Amino acid sequence: MRTRVFVSLAAVAMAMAIDSRPARAQNGAAPQNESRPVPRAADGKPDLSGVWITGALQLLIGEEAASAIQKADAAAGRTPPPREPPPYKPAAEARRQEYVARRGIDDPMARCLLSGVPRITTRPLPFQIVQMPGQVILLYEAHHGFRIVPTDGRPHPDDAEPSYLGDSVAHWEGDTLVVDVTRFNDKTWLAGVGTIHSEQLHVIERYTRDSYDTIRYDVTLEDPEVFTKPWHQHETFRLRPNERLREYECIENNEDLARFEKLLQTDPALRKP
Amino acid sequence: MKAVCVLSCGLLFWTTSLAAHHSFAAEYDAAKPVTLSGIVAKIDWTNPHIHFYVDIKDEAGGVTQWKFEGYPPNMLVRQGWKRDVTLKPGDAISVFAWRSRIDSNFAAAREITFADGHKMAVGPPAGTGGQ
Repeated sequence: MRTRVFVSLAAVAMAMAIDSRPARAQNGAAPQNESRPVPRAADGKPDLSGVWITGALQLLIGEEAASAIQKADAAAGRTPPPREPPPYKPAAEARRQEYVARRGIDDPMARCLLSGVPRITTRPLPFQIVQMPGQVILLYEAHHGFRIVPTDGRPHPDDAEPSYLGDSVAHWEGDTLVVDVTRFNDKTWLAGVGTIHSEQLHVIERYTRDSYDTIRYDVTLEDPEVFTKPWHQHETFRLRPNERLREYECIENNEDLARFEKLLQTDPALRKP
Repeated sequence: MKAVCVLSCGLLFWTTSLAAHHSFAAEYDAAKPVTLSGIVAKIDWTNPHIHFYVDIKDEAGGVTQWKFEGYPPNMLVRQGWKRDVTLKPGDAISVFAWRSRIDSNFAAAREITFADGHKMAVGPPAGTGGQ
Protein backbone atom coordinates (compact mmCIF):
# COMPACT_ATOMS: atom_id res chain seq x y z
CA MET A 1 0.00 0.00 0.00
CA ARG A 2 2.75 2.39 1.01
CA THR A 3 4.72 1.38 -2.07
CA ARG A 4 1.66 1.95 -4.21
CA VAL A 5 1.15 5.46 -2.89
CA PHE A 6 4.84 6.25 -3.24
CA VAL A 7 4.83 5.07 -6.84
CA SER A 8 1.72 7.15 -7.48
CA LEU A 9 3.26 10.27 -5.97
CA ALA A 10 6.44 9.79 -7.99
CA ALA A 11 4.37 9.39 -11.15
CA VAL A 12 2.43 12.55 -10.40
CA ALA A 13 5.64 14.47 -9.79
CA MET A 14 7.07 13.23 -13.09
CA ALA A 15 3.90 14.06 -14.98
CA MET A 16 3.85 17.55 -13.49
CA ALA A 17 7.50 18.08 -14.36
CA ILE A 18 6.75 17.25 -17.99
CA ASP A 19 3.39 18.98 -18.14
CA SER A 20 4.32 22.34 -16.67
CA ARG A 21 1.32 24.66 -16.87
CA PRO A 22 1.26 28.44 -16.63
CA ALA A 23 -0.53 28.54 -13.27
CA ARG A 24 2.28 26.72 -11.53
CA ALA A 25 5.02 28.54 -13.41
CA GLN A 26 3.59 31.90 -12.36
CA ASN A 27 3.28 30.92 -8.74
CA GLY A 28 6.89 29.78 -8.38
CA ALA A 29 7.25 26.94 -5.92
CA ALA A 30 10.46 27.77 -4.11
CA PRO A 31 11.39 31.03 -2.41
CA GLN A 32 12.72 33.44 -5.01
CA ASN A 33 13.49 36.55 -3.01
CA GLU A 34 15.70 35.49 -0.14
CA SER A 35 18.18 38.27 -0.84
CA ARG A 36 15.51 40.99 -0.82
CA PRO A 37 15.03 42.96 2.38
CA VAL A 38 11.85 42.69 4.41
CA PRO A 39 9.54 45.43 3.09
CA ARG A 40 8.56 48.15 5.53
CA ALA A 41 5.47 50.31 5.87
CA ALA A 42 5.57 54.12 6.09
CA ASP A 43 5.72 53.91 9.91
CA GLY A 44 8.86 51.77 9.68
CA LYS A 45 7.19 48.56 10.79
CA PRO A 46 7.59 45.41 8.67
CA ASP A 47 4.85 45.25 6.04
CA LEU A 48 3.04 41.93 6.34
CA SER A 49 0.83 42.61 3.32
CA GLY A 50 0.50 39.88 0.74
CA VAL A 51 -1.13 36.56 -0.05
CA TRP A 52 0.24 33.74 2.11
CA ILE A 53 -0.14 29.99 2.43
CA THR A 54 0.72 27.54 5.20
CA GLY A 55 -0.48 24.22 6.57
CA ALA A 56 -0.69 21.18 4.33
CA LEU A 57 0.95 22.75 1.28
CA GLN A 58 0.77 19.57 -0.80
CA LEU A 59 -3.02 19.70 -0.68
CA LEU A 60 -3.10 23.24 -2.02
CA ILE A 61 -0.26 23.45 -4.51
CA GLY A 62 0.55 19.78 -5.16
CA GLU A 63 3.41 17.50 -4.18
CA GLU A 64 5.96 18.93 -6.59
CA ALA A 65 5.63 22.54 -5.47
CA ALA A 66 5.36 21.59 -1.78
CA SER A 67 8.45 19.41 -2.09
CA ALA A 68 10.41 22.29 -3.64
CA ILE A 69 9.57 24.46 -0.63
CA GLN A 70 10.60 21.72 1.79
CA LYS A 71 13.91 21.22 -0.05
CA ALA A 72 14.62 24.95 0.00
CA ASP A 73 13.91 24.96 3.74
CA ALA A 74 16.31 22.08 4.30
CA ALA A 75 19.01 23.72 2.18
CA ALA A 76 18.67 26.93 4.18
CA GLY A 77 18.76 25.06 7.49
CA ARG A 78 15.21 26.02 8.36
CA THR A 79 13.75 23.20 10.41
CA PRO A 80 10.31 23.50 11.96
CA PRO A 81 10.16 23.17 15.76
CA PRO A 82 8.69 19.95 17.14
CA ARG A 83 4.90 19.88 17.31
CA GLU A 84 3.42 20.09 20.79
CA PRO A 85 0.47 17.84 21.54
CA PRO A 86 -2.41 19.72 23.20
CA PRO A 87 -1.92 19.80 27.00
CA TYR A 88 -5.44 18.77 27.89
CA LYS A 89 -6.72 18.14 31.38
CA PRO A 90 -7.91 14.53 31.81
CA ALA A 91 -11.60 15.30 31.27
CA ALA A 92 -10.91 17.31 28.13
CA GLU A 93 -8.52 14.65 26.82
CA ALA A 94 -11.23 12.04 27.38
CA ARG A 95 -13.61 14.13 25.29
CA ARG A 96 -10.97 14.49 22.57
CA GLN A 97 -10.46 10.73 22.48
CA GLU A 98 -14.21 10.26 22.04
CA TYR A 99 -14.09 12.50 18.99
CA VAL A 100 -11.08 10.58 17.66
CA ALA A 101 -12.93 7.28 18.16
CA ARG A 102 -15.79 8.76 16.16
CA ARG A 103 -13.26 9.36 13.37
CA GLY A 104 -13.75 13.11 13.28
CA ILE A 105 -17.38 12.93 12.14
CA ASP A 106 -18.24 15.75 14.57
CA ASP A 107 -15.81 18.23 13.02
CA PRO A 108 -17.52 21.64 12.79
CA MET A 109 -15.51 22.36 9.66
CA ALA A 110 -17.15 19.44 7.84
CA ARG A 111 -20.42 21.31 8.35
CA CYS A 112 -18.90 24.33 6.60
CA LEU A 113 -18.86 26.35 9.81
CA LEU A 114 -16.27 29.07 10.17
CA SER A 115 -12.99 27.74 11.58
CA GLY A 116 -11.60 29.61 14.59
CA VAL A 117 -8.13 30.92 15.41
CA PRO A 118 -5.59 29.59 14.62
CA ARG A 119 -7.22 26.80 12.58
CA ILE A 120 -8.53 29.10 9.86
CA THR A 121 -4.95 30.17 9.20
CA THR A 122 -3.66 26.63 8.78
CA ARG A 123 -6.39 25.50 6.41
CA PRO A 124 -4.82 24.60 3.06
CA LEU A 125 -6.32 27.67 1.43
CA PRO A 126 -4.58 31.05 0.99
CA PHE A 127 -5.21 34.12 3.08
CA GLN A 128 -4.33 37.75 2.54
CA ILE A 129 -2.92 40.30 4.95
CA VAL A 130 -3.67 43.95 4.23
CA GLN A 131 -1.65 46.23 6.51
CA MET A 132 -2.94 49.77 6.84
CA PRO A 133 -2.32 52.65 9.25
CA GLY A 134 -4.15 51.80 12.47
CA GLN A 135 -5.41 48.38 11.41
CA VAL A 136 -4.53 45.08 9.80
CA ILE A 137 -7.12 43.24 7.72
CA LEU A 138 -6.95 39.45 7.51
CA LEU A 139 -8.88 37.90 4.63
CA TYR A 140 -9.29 34.13 4.44
CA GLU A 141 -10.33 32.18 1.38
CA ALA A 142 -11.76 29.59 3.77
CA HIS A 143 -15.39 30.42 4.53
CA HIS A 144 -15.02 34.02 3.29
CA GLY A 145 -13.59 34.66 6.76
CA PHE A 146 -12.22 38.05 7.71
CA ARG A 147 -10.75 39.76 10.75
CA ILE A 148 -10.36 43.51 11.17
CA VAL A 149 -7.59 43.97 13.72
CA PRO A 150 -7.06 47.46 15.21
CA THR A 151 -3.42 48.40 15.80
CA ASP A 152 -4.13 51.89 17.18
CA GLY A 153 -4.00 50.93 20.83
CA ARG A 154 -7.71 50.52 21.46
CA PRO A 155 -8.77 47.75 23.89
CA HIS A 156 -11.21 44.92 23.19
CA PRO A 157 -14.76 46.30 23.08
CA ASP A 158 -16.99 45.67 26.10
CA ASP A 159 -19.87 44.34 24.02
CA ALA A 160 -18.15 41.64 21.93
CA GLU A 161 -20.35 38.56 21.80
CA PRO A 162 -18.66 35.13 21.77
CA SER A 163 -17.89 34.29 18.15
CA TYR A 164 -16.05 31.81 15.91
CA LEU A 165 -13.08 34.10 15.22
CA GLY A 166 -13.23 36.02 18.47
CA ASP A 167 -12.29 39.67 18.87
CA SER A 168 -8.79 40.79 17.91
CA VAL A 169 -6.65 43.79 18.84
CA ALA A 170 -2.94 44.13 18.11
CA HIS A 171 0.21 46.03 18.92
CA TRP A 172 3.81 45.92 17.77
CA GLU A 173 6.63 44.53 19.91
CA GLY A 174 9.69 45.53 17.93
CA ASP A 175 9.23 43.99 14.49
CA THR A 176 6.60 41.48 15.66
CA LEU A 177 2.87 42.09 15.36
CA VAL A 178 1.21 40.68 18.48
CA VAL A 179 -2.50 39.96 18.12
CA ASP A 180 -4.59 39.34 21.21
CA VAL A 181 -7.76 37.35 20.51
CA THR A 182 -10.55 36.74 22.99
CA ARG A 183 -14.36 36.38 23.22
CA PHE A 184 -14.50 33.06 21.36
CA ASN A 185 -17.50 30.77 21.34
CA ASP A 186 -16.83 27.10 22.11
CA LYS A 187 -18.04 25.78 18.75
CA THR A 188 -14.74 25.36 16.91
CA TRP A 189 -11.83 22.94 17.03
CA LEU A 190 -8.36 24.42 17.37
CA ALA A 191 -6.36 22.17 15.07
CA GLY A 192 -6.87 18.43 14.60
CA VAL A 193 -9.75 16.12 15.43
CA GLY A 194 -11.39 16.82 18.77
CA THR A 195 -9.24 19.81 19.75
CA ILE A 196 -12.00 21.38 21.78
CA HIS A 197 -11.85 24.54 23.85
CA SER A 198 -14.12 26.61 26.06
CA GLU A 199 -15.30 30.22 25.89
CA GLN A 200 -12.34 31.02 28.13
CA LEU A 201 -9.97 30.52 25.19
CA HIS A 202 -7.42 33.30 24.85
CA VAL A 203 -5.10 33.29 21.84
CA ILE A 204 -1.95 35.34 21.37
CA GLU A 205 -0.62 35.34 17.81
CA ARG A 206 2.82 36.66 16.92
CA TYR A 207 3.53 37.52 13.28
CA THR A 208 7.20 38.08 12.46
CA ARG A 209 8.25 38.64 8.84
CA ASP A 210 11.64 36.98 9.15
CA SER A 211 12.43 37.13 5.43
CA TYR A 212 10.95 38.56 2.27
CA ASP A 213 9.31 35.21 1.53
CA THR A 214 8.20 34.12 4.98
CA ILE A 215 6.37 35.08 8.14
CA ARG A 216 7.05 33.15 11.33
CA TYR A 217 3.75 32.54 13.11
CA ASP A 218 3.96 31.71 16.81
CA VAL A 219 0.72 31.09 18.66
CA THR A 220 -0.01 30.66 22.35
CA LEU A 221 -3.37 29.23 23.33
CA GLU A 222 -4.58 29.59 26.90
CA ASP A 223 -7.76 28.00 28.23
CA PRO A 224 -7.76 27.22 31.96
CA GLU A 225 -10.93 25.17 31.59
CA VAL A 226 -9.37 22.55 29.28
CA PHE A 227 -5.57 23.02 29.32
CA THR A 228 -3.06 22.32 32.09
CA LYS A 229 -0.72 24.92 30.61
CA PRO A 230 -0.52 27.15 27.51
CA TRP A 231 -0.33 25.30 24.19
CA HIS A 232 2.21 26.61 21.69
CA GLN A 233 1.96 26.23 17.92
CA HIS A 234 4.39 27.41 15.25
CA GLU A 235 3.93 27.73 11.50
CA THR A 236 5.68 29.37 8.59
CA PHE A 237 3.67 31.46 6.13
CA ARG A 238 4.90 31.43 2.51
CA LEU A 239 4.46 34.47 0.30
CA ARG A 240 2.63 33.76 -2.97
CA PRO A 241 3.29 36.87 -5.09
CA ASN A 242 1.18 35.77 -8.06
CA GLU A 243 -1.63 34.23 -6.08
CA ARG A 244 -5.05 35.73 -5.43
CA LEU A 245 -7.92 34.77 -3.19
CA ARG A 246 -10.75 33.00 -4.95
CA GLU A 247 -14.34 32.35 -3.95
CA TYR A 248 -14.85 29.22 -1.87
CA GLU A 249 -18.49 28.61 -0.98
CA CYS A 250 -18.21 25.53 1.18
CA ILE A 251 -21.91 24.84 1.62
CA GLU A 252 -22.58 24.80 -2.14
CA ASN A 253 -22.72 21.02 -2.44
CA ASN A 254 -21.69 19.69 0.96
CA GLU A 255 -22.81 16.06 0.81
CA ASP A 256 -21.06 15.23 4.06
CA LEU A 257 -24.07 16.06 6.20
CA ALA A 258 -26.27 13.45 4.51
CA ARG A 259 -23.47 10.89 4.59
CA PHE A 260 -22.85 11.54 8.28
CA GLU A 261 -26.53 10.86 9.00
CA LYS A 262 -26.24 7.57 7.15
CA LEU A 263 -23.03 6.66 8.99
CA LEU A 264 -24.58 7.47 12.34
CA GLN A 265 -27.42 5.05 11.61
CA THR A 266 -25.27 2.22 10.28
CA ASP A 267 -21.88 2.31 12.02
CA PRO A 268 -21.95 1.18 15.68
CA ALA A 269 -18.57 2.85 16.33
CA LEU A 270 -20.14 6.24 15.72
CA ARG A 271 -23.08 5.92 18.08
CA LYS A 272 -22.82 8.10 21.11
CA PRO A 273 -22.82 6.20 24.41
CA MET B 1 10.26 5.63 25.90
CA LYS B 2 8.35 8.62 27.12
CA ALA B 3 10.30 10.87 24.76
CA VAL B 4 9.48 8.54 21.87
CA CYS B 5 5.82 8.62 22.83
CA VAL B 6 5.78 12.41 23.01
CA LEU B 7 7.30 12.60 19.54
CA SER B 8 5.17 9.91 17.93
CA CYS B 9 1.96 11.01 19.64
CA GLY B 10 2.64 14.54 18.50
CA LEU B 11 3.21 13.39 14.94
CA LEU B 12 0.05 11.31 15.03
CA PHE B 13 -1.91 14.27 16.30
CA TRP B 14 -0.60 16.63 13.67
CA THR B 15 -1.07 14.09 10.91
CA THR B 16 -4.74 13.91 11.77
CA SER B 17 -4.87 17.69 11.97
CA LEU B 18 -4.20 18.05 8.25
CA ALA B 19 -7.83 17.40 7.45
CA ALA B 20 -9.02 20.14 5.21
CA HIS B 21 -12.77 19.87 4.99
CA HIS B 22 -13.59 16.70 6.81
CA SER B 23 -11.83 13.75 8.36
CA PHE B 24 -10.91 11.15 5.73
CA ALA B 25 -11.46 8.35 8.21
CA ALA B 26 -15.03 9.41 8.88
CA GLU B 27 -16.17 8.47 5.41
CA TYR B 28 -13.48 6.39 3.68
CA ASP B 29 -11.48 3.27 4.42
CA ALA B 30 -7.75 3.71 3.80
CA ALA B 31 -7.38 -0.08 3.94
CA LYS B 32 -9.58 -0.48 0.87
CA PRO B 33 -7.83 1.04 -2.13
CA VAL B 34 -9.33 0.46 -5.56
CA THR B 35 -8.21 1.15 -9.12
CA LEU B 36 -10.96 1.34 -11.73
CA SER B 37 -10.97 2.12 -15.45
CA GLY B 38 -13.83 3.47 -17.50
CA ILE B 39 -15.38 6.37 -19.36
CA VAL B 40 -16.17 9.70 -17.67
CA ALA B 41 -19.93 10.29 -17.69
CA LYS B 42 -20.31 13.55 -15.75
CA ILE B 43 -18.36 16.05 -13.65
CA ASP B 44 -19.79 18.22 -10.86
CA TRP B 45 -17.30 21.09 -10.46
CA THR B 46 -18.55 22.14 -7.02
CA ASN B 47 -17.43 22.99 -3.48
CA PRO B 48 -16.43 21.66 -1.06
CA HIS B 49 -15.53 18.75 -3.37
CA ILE B 50 -15.75 18.00 -7.04
CA HIS B 51 -17.46 14.75 -7.95
CA PHE B 52 -17.06 12.83 -11.16
CA TYR B 53 -18.90 9.79 -12.42
CA VAL B 54 -17.26 7.00 -14.38
CA ASP B 55 -18.96 4.16 -16.28
CA ILE B 56 -17.06 0.97 -15.49
CA LYS B 57 -17.53 -2.07 -17.74
CA ASP B 58 -17.39 -5.48 -16.13
CA GLU B 59 -16.24 -8.72 -17.73
CA ALA B 60 -19.81 -9.75 -18.54
CA GLY B 61 -20.33 -6.56 -20.53
CA GLY B 62 -22.44 -4.81 -17.93
CA VAL B 63 -21.80 -1.20 -16.94
CA THR B 64 -21.69 0.12 -13.39
CA GLN B 65 -21.38 3.82 -12.66
CA TRP B 66 -19.01 4.84 -9.87
CA LYS B 67 -18.93 8.21 -8.18
CA PHE B 68 -15.63 9.73 -7.07
CA GLU B 69 -14.90 12.66 -4.79
CA GLY B 70 -11.88 14.95 -5.21
CA TYR B 71 -10.36 18.27 -4.16
CA PRO B 72 -12.41 21.47 -4.46
CA PRO B 73 -12.03 23.48 -7.68
CA ASN B 74 -9.70 26.05 -6.07
CA MET B 75 -7.16 23.39 -5.14
CA LEU B 76 -7.34 21.68 -8.52
CA VAL B 77 -6.89 24.98 -10.40
CA ARG B 78 -3.82 25.74 -8.29
CA GLN B 79 -2.41 22.35 -9.22
CA GLY B 80 -2.82 22.98 -12.94
CA TRP B 81 -6.35 21.75 -13.63
CA LYS B 82 -8.70 23.57 -15.98
CA ARG B 83 -12.45 23.12 -15.81
CA ASP B 84 -13.90 21.35 -18.89
CA VAL B 85 -10.38 20.86 -20.27
CA THR B 86 -8.39 18.58 -17.97
CA LEU B 87 -11.24 16.11 -17.46
CA LYS B 88 -14.17 15.80 -19.84
CA PRO B 89 -17.15 13.49 -20.33
CA GLY B 90 -16.10 10.76 -22.74
CA ASP B 91 -12.50 10.62 -21.50
CA ALA B 92 -11.12 7.13 -20.90
CA ILE B 93 -9.43 7.18 -17.50
CA SER B 94 -8.17 5.01 -14.70
CA VAL B 95 -8.81 6.17 -11.12
CA PHE B 96 -6.92 5.23 -7.98
CA ALA B 97 -9.14 5.76 -4.94
CA TRP B 98 -10.21 4.52 -1.53
CA ARG B 99 -13.67 3.04 -1.02
CA SER B 100 -16.43 4.74 0.90
CA ARG B 101 -17.49 3.11 4.13
CA ILE B 102 -21.17 3.51 3.30
CA ASP B 103 -21.84 3.54 -0.44
CA SER B 104 -20.72 0.60 -2.57
CA ASN B 105 -19.91 2.49 -5.78
CA PHE B 106 -18.39 5.59 -4.24
CA ALA B 107 -14.74 6.38 -3.43
CA ALA B 108 -12.29 9.14 -2.53
CA ALA B 109 -10.17 9.65 -5.65
CA ARG B 110 -6.45 10.24 -5.35
CA GLU B 111 -5.08 10.10 -8.87
CA ILE B 112 -6.30 9.88 -12.44
CA THR B 113 -4.34 8.22 -15.24
CA PHE B 114 -5.40 9.54 -18.64
CA ALA B 115 -5.46 7.63 -21.93
CA ASP B 116 -2.08 9.04 -23.00
CA GLY B 117 -0.53 7.80 -19.78
CA HIS B 118 -0.12 11.09 -17.94
CA LYS B 119 -1.33 11.28 -14.37
CA MET B 120 -2.88 14.05 -12.29
CA ALA B 121 -3.59 14.21 -8.57
CA VAL B 122 -7.32 14.74 -8.06
CA GLY B 123 -7.72 14.29 -4.32
CA PRO B 124 -5.74 14.15 -1.07
CA PRO B 125 -3.69 11.22 0.23
CA ALA B 126 -5.56 8.89 2.57
CA GLY B 127 -5.72 10.24 6.08
CA THR B 128 -5.21 13.88 5.21
CA GLY B 129 -8.85 14.73 4.72
CA GLY B 130 -10.71 16.15 1.79
CA GLN B 131 -11.65 19.72 1.38
